[in-house]
Amino acid sequence: MTTLATRRQATPGGSTPSRPARRGASSVGRPGFAWALPATIFFALFALVPLAAVAVLSFTSWSGLGDPEFVGLENWKTLIADPVMLKSLWLSLLFIVLGVVTQTPLSILLGVWAAGNQRNRAVLSAIYFIPLLLSSAAISVLWRALLDPNFGIPGQLPWLFGDGNLLGTQAGAIGVLIFVGMWQFTPFHTLIYQGAAKSIPTVLYQAASIDGAGTVRQFFSITLPQLRNTAITSIILMVVGGLTTFETVLILTNGGPGTDTTITAFYMYQQAFQSFDFGVGSAIALVLVVVATLISLVVVKVSGYDKMNSSLEGL
Amino acid sequence: MNNRTWMSRSLAGTAVLMLGFTLAGCGGGGGDASSRPENELHLAVYGDASNKVEEAMVAKFNETSDVKIVLDTIPGADYQTKLQTIIDTESAPDIFFNWGGGSIANFVEADLLMPLDDFIEEDPQLKEAFLPSVFETAVIDDKSYGIPMRGTQPVMLFNNSEVLEQAGIDAPPATWDELLDAVEKLKAAGVTPIALGGADQWPTQMWFQYVFDRVAGEDLFQAALDGDTSVWDSEESREALGKLRELVDAGAFGTNFDSVKFTDGGSPTLLSSGRAGFELMGSWAYATHLDANPEFAENVLSYSEFPAIEGGEGDPANLAGNTNNFYSVHKDTRYPDEVAEFLKLMYSDEFVQEQIAIGNLPTTTNTEEFLDEASNPEYAKYQFDLVKDAPHFQLSWDQAYPPEATVTIHTAIAQFFSGQIDEDGFIKAMQSL
Repeated sequence: MTTLATRRQATPGGSTPSRPARRGASSVGRPGFAWALPATIFFALFALVPLAAVAVLSFTSWSGLGDPEFVGLENWKTLIADPVMLKSLWLSLLFIVLGVVTQTPLSILLGVWAAGNQRNRAVLSAIYFIPLLLSSAAISVLWRALLDPNFGIPGQLPWLFGDGNLLGTQAGAIGVLIFVGMWQFTPFHTLIYQGAAKSIPTVLYQAASIDGAGTVRQFFSITLPQLRNTAITSIILMVVGGLTTFETVLILTNGGPGTDTTITAFYMYQQAFQSFDFGVGSAIALVLVVVATLISLVVVKVSGYDKMNSSLEGL
Repeated sequence: MNNRTWMSRSLAGTAVLMLGFTLAGCGGGGGDASSRPENELHLAVYGDASNKVEEAMVAKFNETSDVKIVLDTIPGADYQTKLQTIIDTESAPDIFFNWGGGSIANFVEADLLMPLDDFIEEDPQLKEAFLPSVFETAVIDDKSYGIPMRGTQPVMLFNNSEVLEQAGIDAPPATWDELLDAVEKLKAAGVTPIALGGADQWPTQMWFQYVFDRVAGEDLFQAALDGDTSVWDSEESREALGKLRELVDAGAFGTNFDSVKFTDGGSPTLLSSGRAGFELMGSWAYATHLDANPEFAENVLSYSEFPAIEGGEGDPANLAGNTNNFYSVHKDTRYPDEVAEFLKLMYSDEFVQEQIAIGNLPTTTNTEEFLDEASNPEYAKYQFDLVKDAPHFQLSWDQAYPPEATVTIHTAIAQFFSGQIDEDGFIKAMQSL
C-alpha cells in the first residue's frame, strides 16, 4: 500500500490523485474483502479451529480413550520441567540455522547458473530437480540404506567415515539430517532463484559490462541485490520447513541417538502418537506455533520484508 | 449492522460452532450394541503375511454363520495407533488382534473389553487348549481378556556356526562367562562378536529382558510393573546393569551398533555374511534369513537359549519375547455368542495346521502333533519345547507396559548401551514410568 501511494506521488508531472472521499472510487485497484473470503474461511476451518481445539486439549489429559480430562496447567508444568523440551527447541533452531546456511549459497549459485543459456543446461537442470520429486519418506529410506555402517558407503570408505557410526553420534546424526535436507530441498530453492534471476533485466548487465564490470562484480553488484526479496521468501520457507522437519528424523534417526536429534516437531509426534499423551502433545504443538510465529516476525522485521519494495524500482 | 461486522460475527460464530463439533467428536464414546451394524462382526488384525490364516478362518466361520465376520487388516506400523483411535468410537472392532499385557491394559482400565471368563466357563477348552505360560499374558486382574492366536515368538541367541567354528568356539555359550569368553575369541578372529540393530532400539531391549530375568528372576520386573519402582534401585537391578555394562565394554557389539537396524536387514546381514558371530533375536529371525538367504538359514544358522548367569535367581529355562498374539473382544459387541463360536476356531486342528504351514508356531497343547508338517520341523520342535518347558515367559518390556511407556524405555536402554547415561540415569528413567 505504501509503495503504491509513494509511487503515485512521485510520478513527475502527473496529477496526484487526491484521497477520494466517496466509496467506490477508492476500490479501484484495491480488491474488497470478498476476494479473501474463500481463503479466510478455509483458514478458519482448517487452521484456526484446530488450533483452538489444540489449545483446549493442552489443558487436558487424554490418551485417545474416553473423554479428555481437564488438568489445568499440569501439562505445561511438565513441559517447563522437561529437559528434552528445551533441548528440542535448541535443536530445532540449530536445524533452521544450519539448513539456511547450507542451502542458501548453493541454491543461489545453482539458480543463477540455471537461469543462463549454457549448453546442456536444461538437461542438467532437469536431472538436478529429481530429488524434489521424491517423497521425503522414500528419500529417508534411500539414505538410511546408503549410510548403513557395514554395507553402505561408510563401509567402503573407512578412511573417511571411521567405524561408520554416523547415525549413532549426535554430530554425525545432525550432519546426516542437514545433508539429506540439503540434498532434498536445494532443487526447490534453486527453482525459485532461477525464476528470479531470469527476471533481472538484461539492460543492467549490459550497462555494467560497458562500465567494465566483470562477471564476479556483476554477480555481487547486480544479481545478489536483485535477488534480495527472493532470498527472504526462500529463507522463510526454509525456516518453516526446518521447524516442521519430521519424516526424515523419524526414519533416519528416530530422534536418536538418545534424544540427540529429537527436534520439537518430532517430540510432538512422539508424545501424541507414540506415547498417546495428546495433552502434552498439544502443548508442544502450541509452543511450536508460538516459536514459528516469533521467528517469522523476526525474519520479516530484520529483512525489511514488511516494507519490501520492488527491485525494479527506478528502472 | 454493516457488512464487515456481520462478516466477522458470522465467522466467529462458525468457528465456535466448529470447535464445539470437534470437541464433541473427541469425546466420542462407544455406543451400545444396538448402534452397531446388524448381522456383521468386525475383526481387526495387524496387516502382514500372516493374514492368510485369518482370512481362511473368517471364511470358514462365515460358511455356517448368519452373522458374518468382516476382516479389517490394518497396515502393521499403524496398527496400535489406529486401534487406539477407533477403540472408543462406534467404529470399534468387535474382535481385535493384540499382544496381551500392557497393549490392552489401558482398554481394560477404560472398561472397553469383555472378560472372557463366561465363555471359558461354557467351553473350558478356550483356556485348557493353550499352554498356560502363554495364556496368562492376557490375564489382567484375574480375568481373561484374550484368546491366543497366531504363534509364539521367544527370543533366542542365534549364531553363525561357521564363524563360531573358525573362532574356535565348540558349542554355543551356556553361561555368561562362556559368552564373555566367546566374545574375546570372536574379537580375536576379527569379527563383531554380536550383531545388534541398536537403531531400532527394541533389539537392545532384548538384552535387558534376559539379563534382568537371569540375575533377578521374573519377580523384579513384575514388581516394577505393579508399581513398586524401588526395585529398579535394588542390588539385583544394579548387578544386571553391571553385567550389561561389562558386555558392552568388552566390545561385544562393536562400536557402530547405534547406526545398524534389524528392520532394514542390517544386523541379520552381519550374521549371515559372517561378519558377526551371534545375534539375540525373536524366533522370526529364521524366517527373515530364510527369505533373504535360504542357504544360510538352512545350513549355517544355529540357535541356543540365552546363557545362564551364575548366582542369578532367574531360572535359565525362563524365556522372553512375544508370548503370543491374542484376540480380545469389545464389550459392546452385538453378537457375543457368535464371537465365542469364532474364538473356538483358535484351537481347531485346521487353525494349527494353517499357522504351521506359514511358519508360525501356535501355542495350543496339541500343536506338537502337527510339528512334522512345519517347514523346518526341527526348529519348530525346539521352539515349542522351549515354550512348553519355560517356568516363566516374560512378555517384552515395551509390550508389558502400556504403550505410553515405550518411548521412555527405548530411550533409556539405547542411552545406557551407548554410554550416554549410567546406572543411576537408567534407574531414574525406569522409575519415572
